[in-house]
Parts: sequence; C-alpha cells; structure tokens
Amino acid sequence: MGLRAFALLAICGGLMFADFRSDKLAGLRETLSWALSPLLWITDFPQHLREAGDYLESREQLAAENTQLREKQLRIEARLQKFEALEAENQRIRELLASAKALQENVLITEIIAANQDPYAHQITLNKGARDRVYRGQALVDATGVMGQIIQVNPTTSVGLLITDPDHGIPVEINRTGLQTIAVGLGDGQALQLPFLPGNADIQKGDLLVSSALGGRFPAGYPVARVYEIKHNPGEHFKQALAYPTAKLNQGRQALLVWSENRETDSATETLVTLPESGAGKPESTAREAAEPATDKPATTPPATGGSKPATGSPPQTAPATPPVAAPSPAPAQQDNKKPATTNR
Amino acid sequence: MTGRTAPHLAFWLSLLVALLLQLMALPEGLAGFRPLWIPLLLAYWAFNEPRVPVLVAAFGFGLAIDALLNAVMGQHALGFVLLTYLVIKLRGLFVMFPLWQSTVGLIPLWGLYAFVMFWIDGVAHHRSDPWLRWTPVVSTTMFWPIVSVLLDAYVRRRQRRQDE
Repeated sequence: MGLRAFALLAICGGLMFADFRSDKLAGLRETLSWALSPLLWITDFPQHLREAGDYLESREQLAAENTQLREKQLRIEARLQKFEALEAENQRIRELLASAKALQENVLITEIIAANQDPYAHQITLNKGARDRVYRGQALVDATGVMGQIIQVNPTTSVGLLITDPDHGIPVEINRTGLQTIAVGLGDGQALQLPFLPGNADIQKGDLLVSSALGGRFPAGYPVARVYEIKHNPGEHFKQALAYPTAKLNQGRQALLVWSENRETDSATETLVTLPESGAGKPESTAREAAEPATDKPATTPPATGGSKPATGSPPQTAPATPPVAAPSPAPAQQDNKKPATTNR
Repeated sequence: MTGRTAPHLAFWLSLLVALLLQLMALPEGLAGFRPLWIPLLLAYWAFNEPRVPVLVAAFGFGLAIDALLNAVMGQHALGFVLLTYLVIKLRGLFVMFPLWQSTVGLIPLWGLYAFVMFWIDGVAHHRSDPWLRWTPVVSTTMFWPIVSVLLDAYVRRRQRRQDE
C-alpha cells in the first residue's frame, strides 16, 4: 500500500514537473478535457432548464420587450448609417494612402458553457475549439468590452482567461489622454488595477481605458474598463488606479471571438502613420469606432508585433504583466513625437 | 465480513457524483465555501472499505479535476493521493472514535490538503486569495458527519440484504 501510494505520488510529481517545464503534456490535457466535456454539459443542464422556463414567459412581457428591442434597433440603425458613411470615407482616404487595411475584424459568436468553479481562477469554457480555427491568445469580447483571451484550445471547446484574473495583463490606453499602460486583474473577480502609472500621470476617476494594439494580441480600441479609484501612496514610485471592466463578465452566456490578425499592411509602414492619428485626437467616440486608430501603431513597430503572429501563445500569460513595464510608456511617447514630425514634413 | 462483496458500484458512482458537485455552478457568495467533495468521499471510502481501489481512484479523479479546472497537471492528483494515503494509515487510530471525534480529527488533514494546493499554486506562480483556500476546510468539516451517516446507512442496508 505504501509503495503504491509512493509510486503514484512520484508520478504526480513528475507530471507537475513536466507541465511546468514544457508543453509535452498539452496533448494529454487536450485529450482529457475532450473526454470529460460531457461532464460539463451535465453540470450545465440546470442552466438549460432555467432557459427552458423562459419559454413560459407571459405574452405581454414578450410583446413589451419586442417593441423595446425594435426601438433600440431603429436607434442603432440610424447610428449605423452614419457609421457606414464614415467607414466608406475612411476607406477612400486609406486607399489614397495606398493601404488596404481591412477595417472589419472577423468575429464568431460562442456560447459560454462553463465557468471555472475554482473561485481563485477566473476562467470560462467556450463551445468553440480548434475545429472553428480558434487559436491560443485570441481576444474575447462581448457587446460592451474586452472579456479576456483564449489560453487553451481543445478540439471542440476552448478555455478563456478573463481580464480580472490576477494572471492576466492587458495593454490599455487611457482614452482621454492616450497614455499607454497595463491593466492587471485584481483577483477579487470584479476589478482591474493599473499598477505602473508614473506619479505624474494624468488620470482621473471615470476615465475610460481602451485596448491598445501594443503587444499585438488584442484588437485596438475596444473599451476595457473604467477607472473608479486612484491611489498614490507617498514614498512609492508608481501611482495605482483601480478600474471596473466594462464587459459584463459574470452575466450573459455569449461571447465573441475576434480574429484580428490582419497582417497585410505591415509592410506599408511609415506612410500611413500620420493620418488616423490626427483623426484619433478628435471626437473620441467616433475616432474609436470608425478609425480603429491604434491598429496603425503595430505598424510603427513591426519588429515587435510582426514576429509575434505565430508565437502568440508561446510565452505564458504573465509575460505581458511584468517585462514590458518599461516598454509601453516610452513607446507611445516616441510615436507621438514621431507622428507630428512626419505630418509636418 | 466474508462472503460479502465490496460495494464497487456505489464507490465509483459516489465519486462521479462528487465530481459533478465539484463542477456545479454555485452563487458567487457560496462558491468559496464549496466543500472538497472528492477528498470527502475518498476519505470516507479509505476509512470504511479497505477492499476498493481508493488510491487509484484518487489519482484518476485528481487528473480529471486538473484537466477540468485547467490546473497544473498532477496538482490535485497529488493532493488526493496524499490525503487518501494518510487516511488509510490513520485508519487504525480513527476506527475506535465516535463520529464527532473523527470529524474533529480530520480537520488537520483537510488543512494539509488545502496547504498543499496553496503551496503548489505558489510554486506555479498562480496568485490567489489565500483566504479562499481555507474556507472549504470549514464546509468540508461540516459535511463530513452528514456524508458519513448517509453512506453508512446505505452500506449497512446493503450488507443486510446480502446476508439474507
């Protein structure tokens, strides 16, 4: 008995060691998750029962909701018309600049079939996997903001890490000022922290943080979080801010997977840098949607992002959190200096 | 005891139910207090039934939980096997105790399990709220007498049926 227990413990130790040090166990993990996915569907069953209960909703309620949705649709369509005009205009201007950057990103709607029941790991399981061309490191958004990214792909399911997980870091830009920084999950399931703000950073309560294209993993310009508290402990080098994510992380059953790897224009670098920047400084709302301004930013730093396409998943997710601390803050400064310079010439 | 068969079916079924309970969604406030269902069941069987393959089950279900919770491969398997082994070793000591004493006596083992998980998380650089690691110890202790009594009743009825 003792010998058997010892042997099993040794196997566990070996497995953990192998899992830390290499990717050799990825196949085993994939197979196991695939074989066990029926369990997830069983535990998901009560949720489906509740949804079936929704069929019994009263008719008036449905009618009321219907009119409400119709009105909303009308409003959105009205806005969309404007948006289409802007998009067409943007396209023309980009054509003038000889760049064929596609504006639209590919998205795929997925259903969240399980949330990780470890209270200290903020992960969700989605019902799309490698068969739907989901890849590791893919961005995950919902209707109101960035939710997280894919960290593991199985044949028919995939696992996403939410931005509130303490292991998750996302490069963000303060929409009001353009300051680039990193937002790390706080781990309480609700908030993000910005731990690396310089002491004189211009940031206020209520500032919107949008995703930045630095790092090349997230599509730029999606809202990420809104600042609700700023702390500055005297004697510390960095100011710290706390923010609530704009995405509805714990509500809803759907999420959108975004394919943002449009690399066609990476070669056309310097020329197109100038224009969208001037547009981005203007009205924030339109700039954010229409121009997806920061997508040109990876273009200014092609060596960093261009090489990262195949390697999106290679380093662990903690990577963005620590090393690039120094990188993002000087980088935008350089770009900002460069861009006006090119415009002037 | 001779002549009776070991309750293999009940053993595997109870562990499967424990696995499902471990995965079932709970309201946010309660999630931290989810009992350690699988260790609870493993400990029960390790205590009361020497003839079922508890160690192997501990290893297998540990790997399953690792894959499902996306933890480091082997983390939970290690915890389960260690816990089961200790319970088997301590069986001679515990078997004399009434239920409430074994309830108290098992607290250090749940604590040890929680600590091993916490420690592996630390080595793997998974930051987590340390308090959330310890709350299940409380709820597991509360559920131990309930699970014990229920399964005891089942096992005894089964034995009586086999004797007849």
